[in-house]
Amino acid sequence: MMIQLVTTAQGVEQAEALMMAGSDRIYIGEATYGLRHKGDWSLEAVREVTAIAHRYGKEVTVAVNNLMHNHQIETLPDYLAALKSIGVDSVTAGDPGAIRLIRNANIPYWYDAQTLVTSARHIQFWGKRDAIGAIAAREVTLTELGLIQQQIGLPVEVQVYGPTCIHHSKRPLLTNYFNEIGRPSDGAQKREYYISEPSDAASRYPVYEDENGTHVFSEDLTLMGQLPVLLKGGLHTWKLEGWHAGDAFVDIVRLFDKARSDLLNGRFDRHVMERRFAELQPERFRLGTGLLLRNPEEIK
Amino acid sequence: MKKRPELLAPAGNLEKLKMAILYGADAVFIGGQQFGLRSRAGNFGYDEMAEGVAFAHARGAKVYVAANMVTHEGDIEGAGEFFCQLRDIGIDAVIVSDPAMIEVCLTEAPGLPVHLSTQASATNYETLRFWQEEGLERIVLAREVSMEEIKEMKRQVDVEIETFVHGAMCISYSGRCTLSNHMALRDANRGGCAQSCRWKYGFFEADELLSDEMVARDEEPFSMSSVDLAMVRHIPDLVEAGVDSLKIEGRMKSIHYVATVCNVYRQVIDAYCDDPDGFVFDPAWEEEIWKAAQRELATGFYYGVPTENEQLFGKPRVIPQYAFAARVISYDASTQLATLEQRNHFRRGEEVEFFGPGFVRFTQKVDELYDEMGAVIETANQAMMTVRVKVEQPVATDFIMRKRKACAVNTPVPSQV
Repeated sequence: MMIQLVTTAQGVEQAEALMMAGSDRIYIGEATYGLRHKGDWSLEAVREVTAIAHRYGKEVTVAVNNLMHNHQIETLPDYLAALKSIGVDSVTAGDPGAIRLIRNANIPYWYDAQTLVTSARHIQFWGKRDAIGAIAAREVTLTELGLIQQQIGLPVEVQVYGPTCIHHSKRPLLTNYFNEIGRPSDGAQKREYYISEPSDAASRYPVYEDENGTHVFSEDLTLMGQLPVLLKGGLHTWKLEGWHAGDAFVDIVRLFDKARSDLLNGRFDRHVMERRFAELQPERFRLGTGLLLRNPEEIK
Repeated sequence: MKKRPELLAPAGNLEKLKMAILYGADAVFIGGQQFGLRSRAGNFGYDEMAEGVAFAHARGAKVYVAANMVTHEGDIEGAGEFFCQLRDIGIDAVIVSDPAMIEVCLTEAPGLPVHLSTQASATNYETLRFWQEEGLERIVLAREVSMEEIKEMKRQVDVEIETFVHGAMCISYSGRCTLSNHMALRDANRGGCAQSCRWKYGFFEADELLSDEMVARDEEPFSMSSVDLAMVRHIPDLVEAGVDSLKIEGRMKSIHYVATVCNVYRQVIDAYCDDPDGFVFDPAWEEEIWKAAQRELATGFYYGVPTENEQLFGKPRVIPQYAFAARVISYDASTQLATLEQRNHFRRGEEVEFFGPGFVRFTQKVDELYDEMGAVIETANQAMMTVRVKVEQPVATDFIMRKRKACAVNTPVPSQV
C-alpha cells in the first residue's frame, strides 16, 4: 500500500532535507502561474530540485493552479514547455483554460480548483479529461472524503498538516488597509500579518499579499490523530503545508513519515504521536482540525 | 445603431420578475427550490416558473434559472430531473458553476442551454474556449476581469459573454472564499454565506517574539468589505467591447430596487445603441441610481484594481434611502385619481415621487388621499390597503410611488454573489 507524503518546500536545500525526512513529492511553484508558494522557484531552481528528486526516486509537482488572466494564459505554453523539458512529474491546475493548455503540452496534472473541489462526480469530470488525481477542498469533511474516495479510482489528496487558504481576493487588501490607516504600505509583502475573528480574540489567521492579490489562511490543521481513518478510507495522498512552520517543518515531515511506517506496521500509537507532534508545532500557531471532523450535517 | 446587449435583471419572486420586465429587462434570472445559492431568496416552484416564463415570453423576454451551487456528496441527487423540468417549462437557460452539475445538465437535459456562472471565475480566453467546446452557450465572467481583457476575449473566442454591471460584489474571487464555512459553519458555496468579509477583524503583526497587536483597538479594524458596482456611466464601453449581456445583481433586493435600476439601464443602453455618436450621459440617470443605492458605488476591476476607496472603512457616509410606498393599480384620467396598493406607510402632505417604465417620473405632494370607499383619510397605514391619490401627471398601472425615508446607511444586505 502506497501512502504518499506531499510537501511544500521553500528552497532547494529544504526540499532535499524534506526528501531525506520522508517526503515523496515536493510541491513548489511561483506566483505567475501558481498560488501561494514561498521561496524562489525559478525554472533554474525547478530544474535543480527535479534532478535531485529523481536521483532519490522522488517526484516534483509544480503549481499551475492560479486563476489565469489573459496575460498569464498567453505565456503559459512557454512555461509548460520548459517544465516538460525539465521533466517535472506533474503540475496542479484548476483553471479550465490552463488545463486545456496542459493537456496540449501532455503533462500529467492534479485537478486543484481549491474550494470548489467537493464531490466525486466533479473530480470524475476532470478524470475523464486526463486528471491523474485531485486535491479536495479543505472544507470537505473526513466523512465526505471517504465517500468520495470510495467512488473513484483517482487518488484524492488530503491535507494532514498546516494552514490552508480560505479567502483569495484579487485586491491588495493589506495595501488598501495600510493606506486607509495612513501607514506606509511598502511592508505589505514582507512581514507576516494575522487577523483575528471578532468572536475569537485568540484566533490568528495569516494574511498574505502578492501579485495575485490577498490570501487569508486558516489556522494550522492537523490530522495526526486521524491517520488510521485516512488509511482505512483509502485516502493515501497526504499533503503537508509548511507555510509558516519554519525550521520545524522538516521534523514535522519526519514525524509524519514515522507515523506512516508505524501505521503500516500496526504500531501506531496515537497519543504518543500527537504529543510528539505538539512539541514540534511552533508555539504561536494554534492547532485545529478545521471542518475536517465535523458532521457534514452541521455545515449549513 | 448598435447591437443592443441584453439587460439581465434579478427576480427574487414572481412580482419582481414581472416588474423587472415591465421596467425594461430583456431577461431575468431566478432561483429554483434547489441547487441555488440563495437559500433565503424567495425561490420559484415549477408552477411559478411556468407563470414567469409565460409572462416573459409574451413580452419577448427570457428567464434563466441559477443553479450555481457547489455540490457535495448527495446534493446532486435529482438534478437531472430538475433540469428536465426546467427545459420542459421553457426556461431559456440555466446558470451553473459546478462541473458535475454542468455534466448532468448537458447529458440528462439536452436542449437546455447552459451558462457558466461567475462562481466558476472565468478569467481568460482559453477558459472560454474550453467551456464553449464542452457545449456551453454563454460565460458569465469573473468580476476581476478588466475592460481590456474582455476585448481580448472577444477577439479570441466567439462565445457569448455576460458581465455584471450593477450591485453588490464578493471581495474575493467568487467561490474562492470560505471564511463563512470556517468561522460560522455556513457554506458560502451552498447558499449559506454569513458575509464574514464584512466583519471587523483584529489585526496583528508577527515580530521576533510573538504576535503583538499592531493597531490599537480604537483605530480602524481590518475589514474586507467591498462597495457596490455601478457601470451606469460606462455602458458605451461595454457595448463597444462586445459584451452580450449586462447583469444586475440582487435576487434578494426589493421591487423598488429592481424597477429603479432596470429603468435606468434600459434608458442608457437604448440611448447609446440608438445613436452612439449623439450619445450624451444624462445626470438624471445617475441621480436615479442613487435612489436605490445601499452602499457607495464604483466600477470594480473594469478600469483598474480597486483601492481602499472602493472598500468600506470607518463610519459609512449617509445615503438617503427611498421606500416603495405604493404600486399603481389603475388610473382614471378624467378624475386624475390613481388607485394604489399600499406597500409602506405614507400620509397626506408628504412629498412622494411617481415613476414608471420609460423613465417617466415626477414629484408631488400627497394632497388628496381617499380610502377604497372614497372617504378622505390622513394616512395609508395598512399593508396592502387600497387607496386613491390625486396625481399631478398621468400615471399607469405598475407605476411605483416612492418616498424618502429616514436616512439609512451602508448597511450590509445579504445579497452578494
